[in-house]
Amino acid sequence: MNLVWKLMRRHISLGQLAGFFVANLCGMVIVLLGIQFYQDVSPVFTEGDSFMKKDYIVVTKKVSTLGSFVGKSTTFSEADIDDLRDQPFTKAVGEFTPSAFKVSAGVGMEQLGLNLSTAMFFESVPDEYVDVNLKDWHFEPGQTEVPIIIPRNYLNLYNFGFAKSRGLPQISEGVINMVDLEVRISGGGRQDNYQGKIAGFSNRLNTILVPQSFMAWANVHYGQGGVRKEPSRLIVEVSNPADDRIAQFFRERGYETEDDKLDAGKTTWFLKVVVGIVMGVGLLISVLSFYILMLSIYLLLQKNSTKLENLLLIGYAPARVALPYQVLTIGLNTLVLVLSVGMVLWVRTIYLDVVEKMFPTLEGGSSMWLMLVAGVLLTIAVSALNVWAVRRKVLYIWKRKG
Amino acid sequence: MNTITLQKTLPEVFVGKDHIDSDIWHKDVEFEKGHFYLIEAASGTGKSSLCSYLYGYRDDYQGIIGFDGNNIRNLSVNDWVNIRKRSLSMLFQDLRLFTELSAMENVLLKNSLTGFKKKKDIKDLFFELGIGDKMNVPVGKMSFGQQQRVALIRALCQPFDFLFLDEPISHLDDVNARNMARILTEEAMKQGAGVIATSIGKPLELDYTKKLLL
Repeated sequence: MNLVWKLMRRHISLGQLAGFFVANLCGMVIVLLGIQFYQDVSPVFTEGDSFMKKDYIVVTKKVSTLGSFVGKSTTFSEADIDDLRDQPFTKAVGEFTPSAFKVSAGVGMEQLGLNLSTAMFFESVPDEYVDVNLKDWHFEPGQTEVPIIIPRNYLNLYNFGFAKSRGLPQISEGVINMVDLEVRISGGGRQDNYQGKIAGFSNRLNTILVPQSFMAWANVHYGQGGVRKEPSRLIVEVSNPADDRIAQFFRERGYETEDDKLDAGKTTWFLKVVVGIVMGVGLLISVLSFYILMLSIYLLLQKNSTKLENLLLIGYAPARVALPYQVLTIGLNTLVLVLSVGMVLWVRTIYLDVVEKMFPTLEGGSSMWLMLVAGVLLTIAVSALNVWAVRRKVLYIWKRKG
Repeated sequence: MNTITLQKTLPEVFVGKDHIDSDIWHKDVEFEKGHFYLIEAASGTGKSSLCSYLYGYRDDYQGIIGFDGNNIRNLSVNDWVNIRKRSLSMLFQDLRLFTELSAMENVLLKNSLTGFKKKKDIKDLFFELGIGDKMNVPVGKMSFGQQQRVALIRALCQPFDFLFLDEPISHLDDVNARNMARILTEEAMKQGAGVIATSIGKPLELDYTKKLLL
């Protein structure tokens, strides 16, 4: 092997190999960084709503001054819902069930001398729209604990408005999960106390959610007359929140959406597009660098073709003659992979710092498997092509038969 | 491999020629293991073509060439690799040595593939052929006559049933030519192999069974 290598390494152009190396490294780093960056940053846009499906929109009817006077309904009728369900962009429609009873809730922290209480309301959506562990998101009659999802804004209101101005301690999400809300429910001549357990926070949903099972039971238990109320909000799962037809449809019907949801959908969509473009460029560079390597190896084989031919004639098998070049390319590709992963990890620490500063609530560091798997697959694919091309070229020299 | 047969073999470039006066082209010829053959030829009669057909690196001929009765056109790449390692050895007219490697390295390149000879035996051959002092000289710096001897040593570093010698002594003096003939004969006898030598003038002096005119 050593003698064969001594022969074959002649005419290896370090310049060309370095060119390939740098180009392939760039391509690979861009592709892998694109994947990892998307993995790391996309939670920023879906932050806090992990319990909600991503591509959904909450729809309400417009409340206008005139409408209020003439008593125009702001609830959705069966016909409205069916109409929405029939739209091509709709995957599913869920109803918000409003509560038919009175709710007030309070936080009592006696050791702090703090007692807050407020009148409020509950709503619920079908369980399939809520992705909290179903064990936590469950209610059975007789249970005194009610899981609740509240808007993150409420916490911010307290932390940055109320607590600051009153000199009260700020509360983190972790702590508030341990705090019990005292929930007082009255209606239908009954009044009971429950313990509210905060099961999650939402950035995107401006309501206080309780499980559907609780709502169904409580509406009957505390409700007046059991009349079914029409929902005033709908939750619509769409295939693509950036679809133009959605905005158009809502405009025509005079429906309103809570815009940031569409925006978040759009943002993630744009993030996908941008990352896609960047990765496309990376892949293109990778392909071009692969081309450089192939040209370089072909040139090398061409320059050494007499020697290759002679080796074949004195009894060397094509596979054996091709081996040094195959090992060379596999070695280079592997080195590129290792360096790329190293560089991605390094760059990642830099941008993760920034991301974590900007979004401290973000759980830092998502999985790197996808990036690693993609890198390995890319390396294997490129190496396999290299090996095949070298083998083909050597066989070509064999078949030319002098 | 015991026999090499040529049935009506003719290089494609000769097709259409009115008259071919040859003991080989367009005839039925058989070479047998254990016998020595001399093919005498004028230049341009297809001597090197014959060698390249028999050694499997060209196939621009008509007719059939068979090893032990099997048409060699049906041999796979692997078959040829094995044949070149174990059954056929060739001393090329243009030698096909690697000029940047030393004489010894050239021989070892082959011997490491076959593991046929001990390094000491190889060294002995270098001395017997009068190039014992050139073992570590790059082949590119040797004369053609010296290179011919290196190529011969390389050709002997494998088991073979037939040894092709394409103008083996074109650049050798009589003493070296006789040396070569002696070593060749010894090696061929030891292996019970056949030898097919070509010549356009001064032939290698062997105990030929048959002389053919190409």
